[in-house]
Amino acid sequence: MRPVIKASLHYLALAIISVIWLIPVYAMLINGFKSNFEVLSTPVLVPPTKITFEAYASVLLSLAKPLINSLIIVIPTSFISAFLGAMGAYFFYTLSYSFSRASSAISDVLFSLISLATFIPQEATLLPLTRLMVSMGFLDTYIGIIFALLIFYIPTGALLMSMFITVIPRSLIEAAKMDGTGDLKIFMKIVFPLSMPGFISTLIFIIIQTWNNFFIPLVLVTTPGMKPTSIAVLSYSGAYGTLYNDTFAAGMLASIIPLAIFVFLGRYFIRGLMALGGGGKGV
Amino acid sequence: MKKGTIILVVPTAVFSAILLYLVIWNAVISFMNWSLLNSKPTFVGLETYATVVRTFQFTNSLLHSIELSVSLVIIGNILGILIAALLYFLNSNKARSIFLSIVIYPLAISMAVNGLIWLWLFNIHIGVDWLLVRIGLPQIPWLSSTSTMFPSLILVTVWAYTGIAALFYLAGFMNIDKTIVEAARLDGTSAFKILYKILIPNSLNSFIIATALLFLFSFRIFDLPYVLSGGTTNIFLQTSELYMYYLFTVEYFSQATAVATIITLVATIIIIPYALTVIRRWIRR
Repeated sequence: MRPVIKASLHYLALAIISVIWLIPVYAMLINGFKSNFEVLSTPVLVPPTKITFEAYASVLLSLAKPLINSLIIVIPTSFISAFLGAMGAYFFYTLSYSFSRASSAISDVLFSLISLATFIPQEATLLPLTRLMVSMGFLDTYIGIIFALLIFYIPTGALLMSMFITVIPRSLIEAAKMDGTGDLKIFMKIVFPLSMPGFISTLIFIIIQTWNNFFIPLVLVTTPGMKPTSIAVLSYSGAYGTLYNDTFAAGMLASIIPLAIFVFLGRYFIRGLMALGGGGKGV
Repeated sequence: MKKGTIILVVPTAVFSAILLYLVIWNAVISFMNWSLLNSKPTFVGLETYATVVRTFQFTNSLLHSIELSVSLVIIGNILGILIAALLYFLNSNKARSIFLSIVIYPLAISMAVNGLIWLWLFNIHIGVDWLLVRIGLPQIPWLSSTSTMFPSLILVTVWAYTGIAALFYLAGFMNIDKTIVEAARLDGTSAFKILYKILIPNSLNSFIIATALLFLFSFRIFDLPYVLSGGTTNIFLQTSELYMYYLFTVEYFSQATAVATIITLVATIIIIPYALTVIRRWIRR
């Protein structure tokens, strides 16, 4: 085969995959600008004949509160998880210095625990979680949802940061230890500033995960005013008998923040994803 | 160990301990006959499990969960290798990262929103079927027929998660010594031959990671079938998580904890070895 043909077949294959993969986001984008009549009468994949903003206008009003709720929940959750997780990760790092049997056992147990918290089907903790939240009086409050998310995402933060912290040169930390600096101070002055790119990756990964988290608010929110966007969009579900252009506009509004983060800071998100598989090192 | 060092791990340890407490509480309750009416629960051993595993919904939903996970692991790995290979042989780094982002972006959107959009795409009149019919392909009933309902869920799951496999295979391929691949190319070896003689045999770690992650992500999936089936009761799309949530909503608490414990157990069997071998190795150095 001639190289030119080969190269064009190569790009053709990638183009086909890309088109298939982009169909849903394309459908979401174009149908949000159709009128209600057009959404119901024209194929989903055909662009609107006339662009209208009626869907966005009607959805924005009812999604404003959920969007604010999501921000109130996601911002503290992600920052706290990434930061406290980073502290935990540095602890693992210091444990791996000492080669005593006890510290390696502690490290294994803790590491298994944070992995369990990261990957466990969150649904499986439904009953005890609800009971815990009720007993603390946290049901249907922001603090309750944040607290419940922290149970899963502080360990996630620790797991991801454990991968990123390994890039810091040991000699730097050893030098600080020689001077008698405490680990807490070393973390604040050396480790944390130096692992900033890793911290951003962890932060962004957790922002996207918590923004899209469906189950925790589904269980812990009991009043409509407390719903975050991931739950609020359900009222536009076709399964309840209503198929409107609102569905697409609502989906777009619910995805605009994570999608924008993905488009502009996607490499950090991808690095976060890589950390789930051991940072991609040696794979 | 100094006090300052211990303080570092306290938040992580406390929240992990809460999680462990939740898991253990769940397991303990599953051995008791706790319900709303029974204020003094007593130990009943495996009785709840015996009751629940005999129900049709339990086996049905567990089979669905496993079928979904196994399908995703198989299809995701194959597609992941193919996409990673297509990306690997690109000469431009920029194009590579753009195409990679395209297969990964579904992970940035909530599965609930993805589900809502796919509900429309699965519409047999104006969804993707409209296009299939126009280019002369048969119309597929998707969610309107009980036989294509579950494959439709698998399709969306594959669309959503294959990016993970592609990412790890690509990372694996990129780590293989460039000089070997270059030498093979100079000898006129075809790309396909390089793929299955050099790239794939050196990607065992990528395979393990992709398999574990695809399994774990699909085994915990809840929002997608929840949205696609419009609730928890559609037995053709009911996964273990949906069934457990259904048991909770109808207040069969003991049975819900039993199912939850089984789900946790299956996940743990994968998580712990994965964590201690694959992930752990890279921190220990």
